Amino acid sequence: MTKKISEKTLKKSFWNWFLWHGCSQQAESMLGMAFAQSMAPVIDELYDNKEEKAEALKRHITLFNTEPQVGSICNGVVCGLEEANANKACTPELISSVKVALIGPTSAIGDSLWVATFIPILLTICLSISQASPVTSWLGPVLYMIVYPLGTGILSWNLFKLGYKSGIEGMQGFMSTGKLNTLTDTMTVLGLIVVGALTASFVTASVPFRIVRDVFDATQGIILENQVIFEADIMLDSIFPKILPLFLTLGVYYLYSKRKWSPLKLMGLILIIAGVFTFVGYVTGFYV
Amino acid sequence: METYQIILIALFVYLGSIGSIIGNTMGWYTLGRPLVASLVVGVILGDVQTAMIVGIPLQIMYMGNVTPGGAVAWDLSYATYIGVAGAIVFGIGLDTAQTIGLAVVFAGIGGLVGQIMWNVSYAANLPLNRVANKYAEVGETKKMFIPNVVMGQSIGFACRFIPAIIVLTSMTAASAQSDFAAIIPGWVTTALGVFGGMMASLGMGIILSFLLKKNYHIVIFLAGFVLVTYFSLSTMAVAVVAIITAILYYVAVSNIDKKGVA
Repeated sequence: MTKKISEKTLKKSFWNWFLWHGCSQQAESMLGMAFAQSMAPVIDELYDNKEEKAEALKRHITLFNTEPQVGSICNGVVCGLEEANANKACTPELISSVKVALIGPTSAIGDSLWVATFIPILLTICLSISQASPVTSWLGPVLYMIVYPLGTGILSWNLFKLGYKSGIEGMQGFMSTGKLNTLTDTMTVLGLIVVGALTASFVTASVPFRIVRDVFDATQGIILENQVIFEADIMLDSIFPKILPLFLTLGVYYLYSKRKWSPLKLMGLILIIAGVFTFVGYVTGFYV
Repeated sequence: METYQIILIALFVYLGSIGSIIGNTMGWYTLGRPLVASLVVGVILGDVQTAMIVGIPLQIMYMGNVTPGGAVAWDLSYATYIGVAGAIVFGIGLDTAQTIGLAVVFAGIGGLVGQIMWNVSYAANLPLNRVANKYAEVGETKKMFIPNVVMGQSIGFACRFIPAIIVLTSMTAASAQSDFAAIIPGWVTTALGVFGGMMASLGMGIILSFLLKKNYHIVIFLAGFVLVTYFSLSTMAVAVVAIITAILYYVAVSNIDKKGVA
């Protein structure tokens, strides 16, 4: 009789992972214990005696790591392989090596496409909604709280099922379709435009430099006190509005991306710049 | 802050931390995002408007805070819950820019505490492997949740909730001592405002490092920028323009692929 994992057990395995993937992470096995918990109901159903169950559990408490939301496809694939193994169509060695092989690509796709691209884009859209009016600023976070978990949950469950159905082939098929690249590029275009707009709206930096003099007004023959005769900000803005925030952002990008500065170091740099600017501002009478 | 408010905020600090019991999708990536966290703090403290005013810039600032490979560089959950609460408690009488600057400072303190606690829990979880191994040896499939969820989360809860209570309680005690706005000198609040405005460039700069893949991409970024500066569009309007552009791009690229022109 061929063994098959029931729909109920698959769901249980998925929920074990979706909720508790990060519960016990540490440096030794990373998400290993969580992965074993996700596999536990599957193992329980597929294998009959304690020895087989122990064998299966032991190969799943070993080191495992991925971006857990997109990485649910690994759990699906391993479910499929365990089922095959229970029917003598696969070997424990293959399960372990496939599992380890999936760590790299799923982490990379999950981190770059979902965490580093989709989340910021969704956040920026929700931010713009919040920013539209102070009265309805709660709308942005509420929208995010609904869309993000729901969308991610659906994606994660479908990837899990995809992984289970097609085992190893599923992963390869998913990776090789050109659609993924086009979709990534499209998201990039969307993201870049919105990030440009946010930079213009939120990064503020002004050159606190002005020259204040008493000016003699020849037409009326009086001295006008404390007249601003030069204001660096206005001059710069007439060339290109908000040029300083633009260059500050691109400078940070350059140092972070090309020079590999850490965010903490950059924070220190910004603090110093802010301190110097404030000082200059007080000296030149920009701040009073 | 009242006691129940402190407990509630500390509870959300825990739920929004990485690897909490509700999973990273609903926890770290939803409750832990500054945009959501500021709304939660606003509701708890009864000042949604101020919370959102400081929450939006904090979100921009920490936009680039992703956790590749689970490496937590900065505990966002801690940073924002503490930052927003600090800004509301101490920010009375300060103007917007200064309140934001204050939030940035408190977020820095919170983020630091959070990061230390993350490292503590990361180490404290290590012995759990021995427990899991013991159960695995005898094939106890039904008990695998004990080391992972029960023990792992007891440690996780203790490492997040208790320090958050301590930080929030001391903040409340400090704010009762004196009028914060009156004791800090003017140049400090000015500098805080300048710093807060500039810090947004950090979030944007880091996000750009993920999005800028080809050199010409910078032009697309500039397009969004000038739509605001030259055309005075709101970010919402630009988001709509961006969605339309992205769809057109997708259709165009898909068609090129079909015809094999590319």
